[in-house]
Amino acid sequence: MKFYKRAAKIIGILAIGLMIAGCGAEDPAMPELSFEESLQQQLIQARPGDVIEIPAGTHEMTRSLSLTVPGVTIRGAGMDRSILSFKNQIQGAEGLLVSADDFVIEDLAIEDTVGDALKVNESDNVTIRRVRAEWTGGALTTNGAYGIYPVQCNKVLIDDVLVIGASDAGIYVGQSSQIIVRNSRVEYNVAGIEIENSTFADVHDNIATNNTGGILIFDLPNLPVQGGRNTRVFDNQIFANNTANFAPEGNIVATVPTGTGLMILANDNIEVFGNDFIDNDSVNVLIVSYLITALPIDDPDYDPFPESIFIHNNQFSGGGETPDSEPLALLQSATAQSIPDVVWDGILVDGKQAKDILCLAENGEVTFVNLDASNGFAAPSFDTDAHRCSLPRLSVISLSPAAQ
Amino acid sequence: MIRAQLRLLFVSVVLSLVFACTDSGPVFHAQDRPLRLSEWNLYSLSADALIPSESSLVFRPANPLFTDYAHKLRSLWIPANTQAHLAEGEIDYPVGTVLSKTFYYPKNTQGAIEKREDPGLEKIDLQYNQLIETRLLVRKEMGWDAFPYVWNDEQTEAFLRVAGASKSIQLTSEQGTLDFVYFVPNENQCAGCHTTSHPDGDMHPLGAIASQLSSSVFPREGLMEIQTEILRARGWLDEIPIRMESKSWRDESYSIEDRALAYLNIHCGHCHNPNGAADTSGLILDGSHAIRINMGVCKPPVAAGGGSGDLLYGIVPGAPEQSILLYRMQSAKPDEMMPELGRSLVHVEGVELIGRWISEMPGSC
Repeated sequence: MKFYKRAAKIIGILAIGLMIAGCGAEDPAMPELSFEESLQQQLIQARPGDVIEIPAGTHEMTRSLSLTVPGVTIRGAGMDRSILSFKNQIQGAEGLLVSADDFVIEDLAIEDTVGDALKVNESDNVTIRRVRAEWTGGALTTNGAYGIYPVQCNKVLIDDVLVIGASDAGIYVGQSSQIIVRNSRVEYNVAGIEIENSTFADVHDNIATNNTGGILIFDLPNLPVQGGRNTRVFDNQIFANNTANFAPEGNIVATVPTGTGLMILANDNIEVFGNDFIDNDSVNVLIVSYLITALPIDDPDYDPFPESIFIHNNQFSGGGETPDSEPLALLQSATAQSIPDVVWDGILVDGKQAKDILCLAENGEVTFVNLDASNGFAAPSFDTDAHRCSLPRLSVISLSPAAQ
Repeated sequence: MIRAQLRLLFVSVVLSLVFACTDSGPVFHAQDRPLRLSEWNLYSLSADALIPSESSLVFRPANPLFTDYAHKLRSLWIPANTQAHLAEGEIDYPVGTVLSKTFYYPKNTQGAIEKREDPGLEKIDLQYNQLIETRLLVRKEMGWDAFPYVWNDEQTEAFLRVAGASKSIQLTSEQGTLDFVYFVPNENQCAGCHTTSHPDGDMHPLGAIASQLSSSVFPREGLMEIQTEILRARGWLDEIPIRMESKSWRDESYSIEDRALAYLNIHCGHCHNPNGAADTSGLILDGSHAIRINMGVCKPPVAAGGGSGDLLYGIVPGAPEQSILLYRMQSAKPDEMMPELGRSLVHVEGVELIGRWISEMPGSC
């Protein structure tokens, strides 16, 4: 009896030993994970509701990070304390790629990514706050394109972020709806903030300076989401956006004149108020149709004309002194004056009046020009009266409390 | 009584060991995520060779994806007494199906890794080949699940690397030596290609599908039978799909345009399709659009950044050197290159094909 028990024990131990050893002589060792690999593994294995903490310190990343689990918060210890540095990145087109609803990222920095810093693709309820995206070498063409880049998202809050050095747009919201971009600072990007092919956006209380163009509101053809409209740009400080355009050719922002404050391209229902436009050396506010780009349009659904732009109660000072645009430079030499505060290309679709395109009200001593681009800039008009009108105020964007 | 139990215990231990060490066939892990590839029992592995289980089928898709000139051994296994069904022309695999793809490089007699045409081996001789990684796609109750396993240097085991891995490789070819970092994708990156409908679609196979298996395999020697017919003969598939042949981009009997479109579909179409992750760019390369602006012809870039290469349009007919599409295929910089994943090297043969297609394309921008 005892013998059998002991024998059973021995066989058991032997069996376990053999099983652990497997079929080979030795058991191959599991590899150890780096901080980067552990973080990516955490992001993959996260559950909805998880908070993934990025500790203080500079963490070197060599590959893109990605998240696809909904309801996750990524939280650092502060935008100057928790730094994901991609200086040595060798794989991936962005720093962090997110495709997940109910996403929050806060209090960290993403530095020196080879491509975009933070891309959020097709996600709803996105909150990005107190995040810094920066290329630390300054304004270089070789920097990544976008800093904060939600695309095809619904309900996006971008609050108190800082973006420096993007070779396209610092904050770029594309093909999205229900957007708030506020309390943020964008500096030394080609475009500071760009809202593109998007609807229902509030862009307010931001500081855009030292970019090529401060804030751009664009609508482009041949995209699955277009018909950009209903954006309010208010209470922003848009000054001295005079950094020479450093975007790679081919990209639409490469056509933005150096020294542009606000540029509206082919968007409808835009309300611009309470902003300070100061010392943007080409032009403080530029409103154009897509036709001005001279790019071909092969898209029957696309409306290349801006419409219902309402600019009121803004402050203008300086700017327009060294225009980086051929028609503007010609205008300047013809008039021996600096470029007016508000410039419209003057391209009208048949059946529309000047007041259908642009209304100006209560902007102090604002100056204006209609470039008459459809007639080869033959007869620019400085007649502000043609645009003395007002339009209905646009409604406030409010996101669900969770996103605030 | 006790003696009998003891005998039973002893026999079962011996048997389990014997089974664990020989080809008892693959094991489906329905719930757990094994950390070691060997737990799936897909291969028998010795110091000499890696041999797929006899109960699995080695297969080859008509249009394989370029992965830094790595060779690939693919196998398919379906649990006993189950069968795949043809549903709307596509193969719907049963729960428990395991697809595996082992990436490896041939070595010369000095042990150097060589750039060579993939001969489509059905087993891997470890004296002349270096194992890199084995990716599994497993059909679970909830859908397909991806498992990236990475081989150790000793070539004795591959470990699950949820977050992927990287490996420095020196590839010797007639043109010289290429030093590069080979990337094993992380699980999200697996889904990046295998989920063609972004973001809420399901993962699905890209190789073991009706069109890829309905074709004669190129090069034509070796597997002569149509692979869907082999599946049917095994009883693994209830019905042979109507032949929707994937034209192989390597098969020179097809026109340049057919080959170019096949190449773009397999290398780009999983993201650049009307529901894909890259539909944000408006560039659609899965063959669902005519060869016009949405295929890149005279199309300005949208969010290419440096990937534009200072060029103005995706494709400029007759001018491959002015075409962003080709620029991005020729680049190996992570922020510029396309596809974004799956390669570190330039696919010279693919660049030649697409370059020729663009140069012969009529029109201008």
